[in-house]
Amino acid sequence: MMNEYKGQDILEFNYLSEEERHDVIDLMPPADYCAQEQVTAESVKESATAVEFKPAKRHMGQKIKNRISNTIIYVVLCLMSIIWLIPFVCILLESFRVESTSQVGYIIPKEWGFDNYINLFTKTKFLRWMGNTFFLGLAVSVLQTAFVLSMSYVLSRFKFRGRKSLMNLMLILGMFPGFLTLILIYNLLNGWGMTGENSVFGLILVYVASSGMGYYVSKGFFDTISKSLDEAARIDGATRFQIFYKIIMPLAKPIVIYTILTAFMAPWGDFVMAKYIAHNSSAGFNVAVGLQNLIATEESKATNYTMFCAGGVVVAVPITVLFMLLQKYYVAGVTGGAVKG
Amino acid sequence: MATIKLTNVKKVYEKNAKPAVQDFNLEIKDKEFVVFVGPSGCGKSTTLRMVAGLEEISGGTIEIDGVVVNDLQPKDRDIAMVFQNYALYPHLTVFENMAFPLRLKKVPQDEVYKRVTNAAEILGITEYLTRRPRALSGGQRQRVAIGRAMVRESKVFLMDEPLSNLDAKLRNQMRAEIILLRKKIDSTFIYVTHDQTEAMTLGDRIVIMKDGFIQQVGTPNEVFEWPDNLFVAEFIGAPKMNTFKSELIREGDNYYVMAFGVKMPVDGIKAQKLYEKDVQSQEIILGVRPEHIDLTNRNNPNSIVCTVLVNEMMGSEIHLHVVTESGEELIVRVPTVDISVEQRSALVTGTKVLITFRGKVMHFFDPVTEENLLTREDLYSEVMGEEANEEVVSE
Repeated sequence: MMNEYKGQDILEFNYLSEEERHDVIDLMPPADYCAQEQVTAESVKESATAVEFKPAKRHMGQKIKNRISNTIIYVVLCLMSIIWLIPFVCILLESFRVESTSQVGYIIPKEWGFDNYINLFTKTKFLRWMGNTFFLGLAVSVLQTAFVLSMSYVLSRFKFRGRKSLMNLMLILGMFPGFLTLILIYNLLNGWGMTGENSVFGLILVYVASSGMGYYVSKGFFDTISKSLDEAARIDGATRFQIFYKIIMPLAKPIVIYTILTAFMAPWGDFVMAKYIAHNSSAGFNVAVGLQNLIATEESKATNYTMFCAGGVVVAVPITVLFMLLQKYYVAGVTGGAVKG
Repeated sequence: MATIKLTNVKKVYEKNAKPAVQDFNLEIKDKEFVVFVGPSGCGKSTTLRMVAGLEEISGGTIEIDGVVVNDLQPKDRDIAMVFQNYALYPHLTVFENMAFPLRLKKVPQDEVYKRVTNAAEILGITEYLTRRPRALSGGQRQRVAIGRAMVRESKVFLMDEPLSNLDAKLRNQMRAEIILLRKKIDSTFIYVTHDQTEAMTLGDRIVIMKDGFIQQVGTPNEVFEWPDNLFVAEFIGAPKMNTFKSELIREGDNYYVMAFGVKMPVDGIKAQKLYEKDVQSQEIILGVRPEHIDLTNRNNPNSIVCTVLVNEMMGSEIHLHVVTESGEELIVRVPTVDISVEQRSALVTGTKVLITFRGKVMHFFDPVTEENLLTREDLYSEVMGEEANEEVVSE
């Protein structure tokens, strides 16, 4: 059989003996470092200066094009922001107008003063409305946050039968506006004595009851927190609830603040539900209903319009302050799910 | 003290789907280091997670120290676990991370301090105790994760691919550290990995899995020397075992293997055992490890001519990929100290070389069942003596 290969060009092997092995190391040719060109700081600099950057003419054309398109974009943006800001500026200016209490055909007041603000607090139940709304906001933000976060955590972490369909159902239900069931809700709350002057409690119930459906954003955030953290904590001896408040909540701080903030702000702007449930009892108004009530008729509009504007400014203050304090969390909360940190 | 016994353990994720794990039977002795190894999706992690209590057990029982733990919560099983992605709590400092399980158990403050600093010292992370996990490197994070498991002082220590997220150099270093650590921790270990090197170097015993079934259980030596089937043979050892269709020929009392036109005698214990088992001539899959193939010369009657495809110079050895005249690709492991410099540089693509197999270390697999024709039990007694064989049987 060995004869078969005789004619072929084959590399043959006899493994080396012990002495020959040591010779191999001596025979290794030394690496020729000197031949290689050394890369120094100077040689790099040289090669860099050799290729000098010469701006071509078409680059200039590109520059002008960019400038023109930027100008157009900025002009449009400026116009849009002016349109957007006008109502706010009007309200602010009107609230300081003293010479007339009704709507006038000009914007800048002829006589400046705090009369409207003083009247607002002394002649109307504005403080009560503020108090109502503030209480509403606090209660709703506490309860709703608890509901939403625990709901989201469960939907994010637990696998149970009907989980998917429940999520879909809630998503679809959430698409119907809340006031579809307005009359029913009113009758229910009326039966429990939660309308009129007690409408604050009725409203808390309305806002909080369905709040679990707002799980979507925070569930998305929880989904980005690695599940192995839960598992590690479970092995470390934590209960589900301990995992939730000791591990997940601190990690989800942005989304917790986002949830609190949105829950707190909702009652300040709600009108339909608040108006319907409070009905005609001014003690149960929130700020939106209360202020609207000031200018509900043509006569009251003539006497209260500037006061109404002052009310609008006052309402904006707490929300704005809160928002400015917490906005970095708010942004992190909204965008947090997008990029895993 | 902790023994773990898995009996007929089964895991089914979805009804009617193929079980992720089935017929899993294993007894783990106290303080034993067992490694589950297999390709991804073989069910090794699932089994570990069932032991941990993170996955429900679909069938069978798992016992820890004689107590069936099927329905116990993880926290009631007295286990510690290290995860692949470390799973450190990002908002807590290293100290608090390690103290977390103790705080949940309401261990007194000074005891917490003592245990955490002690573990940190063993792992060499004392200076990082006040840092957050974010400020640590991968290796340091993994040490913290191990530390968090250590302070528990639990009966069972589970590790789910703890080194997979580290770079190669750090992985080797941590592997050595785990071997040392193991001597300091008095626990039973189950370690999951897809890396056969880790399995071989760490395990007292290795459990090789594929498609939810155990393929073989044995010491690193046993699974390497006496693979039960083709899968184990190819999975264990790097570079992997060469396997190819061949023929086993029986001529009276003598056995030969016909491969690439060369008839090689099977000698020693293997031939004797084949004879004892009355194995007839048949088609087989022949397995030859790369280190059991030698480059040779024309004087060798059993030489096979091959062409070099790729020369992988690893330093201490060359992994030579060659192709036979019949088109079969083989890997040959050539120790660099064994050949001269001229020969090293001559081993380029296209060079023709002669190879030969070492007859005693060939493996014969049934082409249909892929089982090894000679099992460990067949050969064990001859190698280790009759006494050893009895021990194996009684196991």
